[in-house]
Amino acid sequence: MTEHAVHLSGVTKSFGEHTAVSDFDLEIPRGTILGLLGPNGSGKTTTIRMIMAILLPDRGTVELLGGFPDFARRNRVGYLPEERGVYEKMKVLEQLVFLGELRGMTRQIVRRRAMEWLERLGLEEWANKKVQQLSKGMQQKVQFIGTVLHDPDLLILDEPFSGLDPINQDVLESIVREQHEKGTTILFSTHLMDQAERLCERVCLISRSQKVLDGNLKALKRRERTGAVAIEFEGDDGWLARLGIMNPTKVDDTYHIEAGRGVEPERLLAAAVAERVMLRRFELMEPSLHEIFVRHAGQPDPEPALAVAGGAR
Amino acid sequence: MRQVWVVLRREYIERVKTKGFIIATIAMPVLMIGLIGLSAFLSIQAERADRDLALVDLTGQLGESVAAGMQAVGYDIELVDRDVDLQEMDRRVNEDEIEAYILLDDLTLQEGTFAYRGKEAPGTVRRALFENVVVETVLELRLSFAGSAEGLRGLLAGGRLSFESLGEERSELERVSGMATGFAGAFLLYFTMLFYGAYVLRSVLDEKRNRVVEVVVSSISPWRLMLGKILGVGSMGLTQVGIWVGCAALIGLLGVPMIAANWPAVDVGELSQLLPGPGPLGLLLVFFLLGYFLYSSLFAAVGAMCSTEEEAQQAQFPVMMLLIIPFILQMTSIEGSGLPWMDWAALFPFFSPIMMYPRAVVGAVPWWMVGTSLVLMAAALIGTAWVAGRIYRVGILMQGKRPTLRELVRWIRQA
Repeated sequence: MTEHAVHLSGVTKSFGEHTAVSDFDLEIPRGTILGLLGPNGSGKTTTIRMIMAILLPDRGTVELLGGFPDFARRNRVGYLPEERGVYEKMKVLEQLVFLGELRGMTRQIVRRRAMEWLERLGLEEWANKKVQQLSKGMQQKVQFIGTVLHDPDLLILDEPFSGLDPINQDVLESIVREQHEKGTTILFSTHLMDQAERLCERVCLISRSQKVLDGNLKALKRRERTGAVAIEFEGDDGWLARLGIMNPTKVDDTYHIEAGRGVEPERLLAAAVAERVMLRRFELMEPSLHEIFVRHAGQPDPEPALAVAGGAR
Repeated sequence: MRQVWVVLRREYIERVKTKGFIIATIAMPVLMIGLIGLSAFLSIQAERADRDLALVDLTGQLGESVAAGMQAVGYDIELVDRDVDLQEMDRRVNEDEIEAYILLDDLTLQEGTFAYRGKEAPGTVRRALFENVVVETVLELRLSFAGSAEGLRGLLAGGRLSFESLGEERSELERVSGMATGFAGAFLLYFTMLFYGAYVLRSVLDEKRNRVVEVVVSSISPWRLMLGKILGVGSMGLTQVGIWVGCAALIGLLGVPMIAANWPAVDVGELSQLLPGPGPLGLLLVFFLLGYFLYSSLFAAVGAMCSTEEEAQQAQFPVMMLLIIPFILQMTSIEGSGLPWMDWAALFPFFSPIMMYPRAVVGAVPWWMVGTSLVLMAAALIGTAWVAGRIYRVGILMQGKRPTLRELVRWIRQA
C-alpha cells in the first residue's frame, strides 16, 4: 500500500493552442477527502480525466492507487463524470447490473448490492422502470449508485452536487461522509466553496489551468488568517475609539475589527483587559475559502450568489 | 473477454426486446410478400376494369372465333352485325355504353392489323392478348385453306432453345437456382450490411450523445467496447435473418407437399432443386460475417466522429456510397457475370460481398478469385478495424464540431 491514492507530478495537457492543465502536482493521501476547487473551465475535469486515464497527459506522470492507471486499478475507482450519462431506455436495475458486471462483479452480487442501495435512496420501486421515466434528480442518484456499487477504494466525483435540490444534496453529502468514514479516499471537484468548506479535509485550488494552493483545509485557513478579530462585549464601545478604531463594522452584537486598522489582536485584548471590558467573545477570524480563493486567484465564480443559493449552474 | 461479453449481451438484449426489432422482424417478410401481392393484385384489378367491348367484323369470316378467343381470356365481347353504322358505334363509346370496339377489316385478313377504337388506349396486357388472338385466328383461317393447320400449331407457339452444356456439368435448373440464390444473396447482403451497420452507428452515437460512454470507458478499453457493440448488433442481425430463413424454410417444408397434392403436374423434385444448397448458404454466411464486420467498423468510426444525428447523416455518406456502387453494378449484371472488368472490381474488398458472392454461386469466376477476395476482405477488415478503433477511441469523448480530414489523420496517428 502506497501512501497516496493519487499522485500527479508535472502533469501538462493541451488541446491545440489551449493549455487545459499546466505543470500540475497533486498528492491525495489515502483516506482523505480532497476538494478540487476552481471556476468553470479552470481544468478540473481535464485533471480528473487524466487521473482516470481517459486522457493521457502530454507531459508528467499520473499514478493511481500506486501505479499506472490500468483497468485493474481503474476498476477500483468509483467515477462520476461531470457529464452525467445513463442508458435512458434501460431499466434502472439492469443498468446498475451492467455497470457492476463491467467492473468484474458477478451478477448475483451486483443485483443484491444494487437493490440495497436503491432501497437506501428510496428508489426501490423504480428498480424495474426505465431510466427515462425517472426525474433528473432520481437519475442522478442512480448514477451515484453506479459509482459506489462496487465498493471502490477511491471515489472521484466531478461536480457531484450540481443540479441536485438541497434535500438530495444533503443525502449525497451524508453518503460521501459515510464512505469517508469507511476509509474510502474521496476526490471531488466543485465550484461551490461553501460545500467544499463543509466536507473537505484537504483542498486544492486551481485557476486558469494552474494550481494556486493546496493542503489541509484547517492549516490553510490558519495560515491565511489576516489578523481580523470578532468581539462581543457588554457596555459601550468608547474604549475602541480610544484605541483609534472609529466606526467599527457591527453586525448584531458582534464587532468586526479588520486587519487594516493597525491594531493587532494582542493589543486589542490587552486594552480590553485594561479597560475592564466584559468580554463575551473574542475570536481570531479565519477567512472563508471563498475569500482565500479571491485573494489568490480573483473571483472564483462569476455568479457566487446564485451558486450559494442552490448550486444551479 | 468477459467485458466484451457483458457489452455484447447488453447490446443484444436491449435491441432484441425492443418493439422496433419485433416489428421489423415480422414486418419485413410481410411487407415483401404484401408488396408483391399488392402489385400483382393491382395490375389484375386495373385490367379487369371496363371489359365491356364490342366487335365489328367487316370481313364476316373472323368475328366469331376472335370473339370466342377474347371471351376465353376474360373479356365481355358483344359481336355486332357487320351492317352497323360506325358512327353509331362511336356514339356508344362516347356515351360510355361500351369501353371501346374492335374493327376487323380486309387488312386484318391480309396482314393482321386491326383497329381498337376507344377513348383510352388499351393497356399493354390487353394489347398483347388481343393481338395474339387476332393473329392466331387469321393464321388458322389462312392455314386451313392450305389444308394442314394442326401440325403448324407448335411452330406458331414459337420456337424454344434448349441449352446443351459442353463445359462443366451444370443443368439448366442448377443455373437458374444459382442465379436466383446469387441475386437474392447479394440483395440480402446489401440490406443487412446497410441496416445493421446503421444500427452500430446509432448505438455509438447514442452512447456518445447521452454521455454514458465516459463511465463505460473508464472500466473497459474503447477497443473492447467497440468489439462488444459490433458483435452484439451482429448477433441481433443473425437472429433476425435466422428467423426469416427459418420461416422461409417452414413455408417451403409445408408448401412443397401442398403443391404436390394440389398440382400433380408440377415436378416437386425439380422444384426443390431450385432451392439453394448448404454450400451457397454457408458461403453467404462467410460473406455476411466479413462484410458486416468491415462495414460496421466503418459505421462505428463515423458514429464516433459525430455529435448529432444530422452530422452523422452527412458523415455516413461515403460509407453508403461504398455499398451503393457495387449494388448498382450488380444490378446491371443479374446473371452474375456482366462485363469482364466487373469480375476484377468484385475483388475490391468493400465491393466483394455484394459482387463476388453472386459470381461465386453462379460459377462465373474461377475459385481462386473467390478465395483471393475472401483473403483480401479479411486483410481489409484488420486494417479497417485498426483505423476505426483509433478514430473511435479519440472520437467518443469529443464533443462539438466534427473533425476535418486532417484532424482525423492526427487522431489515427496519436491514439
